[in-house]
Amino acid sequence: MSTTLLHLHTQPEVPLEAETLSPASIAGLSELGIEHLQVMHGNVRAKMGDFFKVTGKGTRDIHVEGDLSKVKMIGAGMSEGRVFVEGNVGMHIGIGMSGGEILVKGDATDWVGPEMSGGRITIEGNAGHMVGSAFRGQSTGITGGEIFIHGSVKNEVGNSMRRGLIAIGGDAGDFTAVSMRAGTVIVMGKVGVRTGAGMVRGTVVCFEEGSILPSFEYSCRYQPLFLRLYLIRLQEHGFGEKIMDKHLNGKYKRYSGDGVELNRGEILLFSGQ
Amino acid sequence: MPQASKTRPKESKNLKIVKDATCTFCGCVCDDMELTVDLDEHRITKAKNACVLGRAWFYEHTLEDRPVVLIDGKEATLEEGMDEAAQILVDAKFPITYGLSDCPCEAQRVAVDIMDTINGNIDTTTSVCHGPSGMAFQGVGESTATLGEIKNRADLVIYWGGNPAESHPRHFTRYAVTPKGMFIPNGKKDRTVVLIDVRKTPSTPVADIFVQVKPGKDFELLWALRALVKGKKISEDIEEQTGVSREILDDLVQRMKNCQFGVLFMGMGLTMTRGRHFNSGAVYSLAADLNEFTHFVAKPVRGHGNVTGADNVVAWQTGYPFGVNFNRGYPRFNPGEFTTSDVLARGEADAAMIVASDPASNFAKKAIAHLEKIPVISMDVKETHTTRLSRVRFAVATYGINTGGTVYRMDDVPISLRPAFDSPFPTDQEVLEGICQRVKKLLSGKKARVAA
Repeated sequence: MSTTLLHLHTQPEVPLEAETLSPASIAGLSELGIEHLQVMHGNVRAKMGDFFKVTGKGTRDIHVEGDLSKVKMIGAGMSEGRVFVEGNVGMHIGIGMSGGEILVKGDATDWVGPEMSGGRITIEGNAGHMVGSAFRGQSTGITGGEIFIHGSVKNEVGNSMRRGLIAIGGDAGDFTAVSMRAGTVIVMGKVGVRTGAGMVRGTVVCFEEGSILPSFEYSCRYQPLFLRLYLIRLQEHGFGEKIMDKHLNGKYKRYSGDGVELNRGEILLFSGQ
Repeated sequence: MPQASKTRPKESKNLKIVKDATCTFCGCVCDDMELTVDLDEHRITKAKNACVLGRAWFYEHTLEDRPVVLIDGKEATLEEGMDEAAQILVDAKFPITYGLSDCPCEAQRVAVDIMDTINGNIDTTTSVCHGPSGMAFQGVGESTATLGEIKNRADLVIYWGGNPAESHPRHFTRYAVTPKGMFIPNGKKDRTVVLIDVRKTPSTPVADIFVQVKPGKDFELLWALRALVKGKKISEDIEEQTGVSREILDDLVQRMKNCQFGVLFMGMGLTMTRGRHFNSGAVYSLAADLNEFTHFVAKPVRGHGNVTGADNVVAWQTGYPFGVNFNRGYPRFNPGEFTTSDVLARGEADAAMIVASDPASNFAKKAIAHLEKIPVISMDVKETHTTRLSRVRFAVATYGINTGGTVYRMDDVPISLRPAFDSPFPTDQEVLEGICQRVKKLLSGKKARVAA
């Protein structure tokens, strides 16, 4: 399938909000049409062509090159197609996406996939705070979809998430899955403190030991079948080196919580065997 | 402690007494000052009822011999300064305003107007003090009361993560611990005071019960208290985790459930340590949980004189308390994305207007380094690190001492100011209004950058 190539030729001086850099806006447009798409350069309206060289007609698949760490909202609202980014990306990547796929061969910063309801975001490097999280003041975070981060992330992964799967290949910061409503977060590295604080339902899986809040209660040590299925699927998505046989076949300590909430959530800590 | 607080200035004969003046040093905003003003020397010589911090505040403010405006270090007129400032702001693509906690609400309002007009970014010092409490408040709500209600009704007072004896000296004596109230006829004898902190401080002797929590374990302790209040189990290693025994926790929970009117005051020991807005959120949630059993409120103990006013003004004008961005012509709130320390550390802003604040002395190195690269407009009563790196610096009059206006006490009660003596310097409001008019003139004729 043909691809539209966008190459960053001018680094923005201030943050560039480019929600039009998405199959949802680009598909079906000519090269000129894409270059004339509006972006916000700080408080000034600008054109896509002011920053990107466009090659090819607008397709459902987009290839973006350059250091996009100041470019926000790439892949906004996409429901189909594929965005392939070679370089680092800025905040709010995949905001409001409901389908399709974003693959970043670099690092992302804060707010990966806010308001996501479907599709998949894969970050091959690290990401910042608030991956798959609710914006401040919102009661629910992502309501579906998959976010795969192969590196490490900072605080508040999956804050208030309602559904979906978030997998972190490296370490996660504090308050992982805080106020989680439902869904699954899997952390293959170390996890910070206060994991699952205020969680109502949902599952947090940690491959390494972590601190458990006093309001969680130890339930049992067992081998959850669903987890094996999840992990086998994640192995197919590039987590093969992190997920070993012991993780597939080993036992997990289950803690139920959060006691101050509904107590229907669970933290599964890999028991080491 | 400032040296001036210990020695009272000598008086001449041309004296004026200002009764019921307001001290704007800290968030207590005590409005029962009686100031003796030496009109020849242009200074306050006596500040009756003021605490040690208030006395330093009143005695230190004299009229300094400084140029009103400096542009690139050269003296200029006020008009030239305002012209230059307006031009800098209009030319910028990502202008920011920061500070605002030490100026009256009337000036804050104009600062919001300027940023709204030029589609800039407005943030206050709240983002580096009780901003997390604001975020928590938005997330979980707030059970609140005025300090007057607390004085008249509270029989259980809990201070968590603060040291009011040194930071807000009159908080104990005027509002929450010793004053006699309508339903607290015997003052402190009718109250139980609990202090929770990671170490003993000069505030500790005031407390009937001192609970020492392990550093960085406040959230765990709050969470355990929430669970116990709700009658849920907590893990047996709670003492190992937090440093507080189960017996102490049970006793505290019983006291909280059985009091008539309880209050939780939280300090920056909670909001600026690991967990930040979740620590504040846990305090608000605990207070909300306790309302199942009795009346319980939670209040942050705010620092700067009018930081609460900054929250109120920015909130009533934009809908959000701090960290508000107008780039698209409408307000957006996102702490972390639009808060000044983060915006500067990421090197995003291309012009800054700093009002009554000194970020160049207390922000992260990366943020200060960026502040040095961009054009900065500053307004302050004293010379600071920030004014020294500014392209345009305005020397302004001191609010509460030289100028009137409105400030908000830490419990969101607005209080009017009674200035002591005149100043030759312009007020923050006058400078900001001048800049605002010029910005609007520069932008008129041009099509607005972004349709609202």
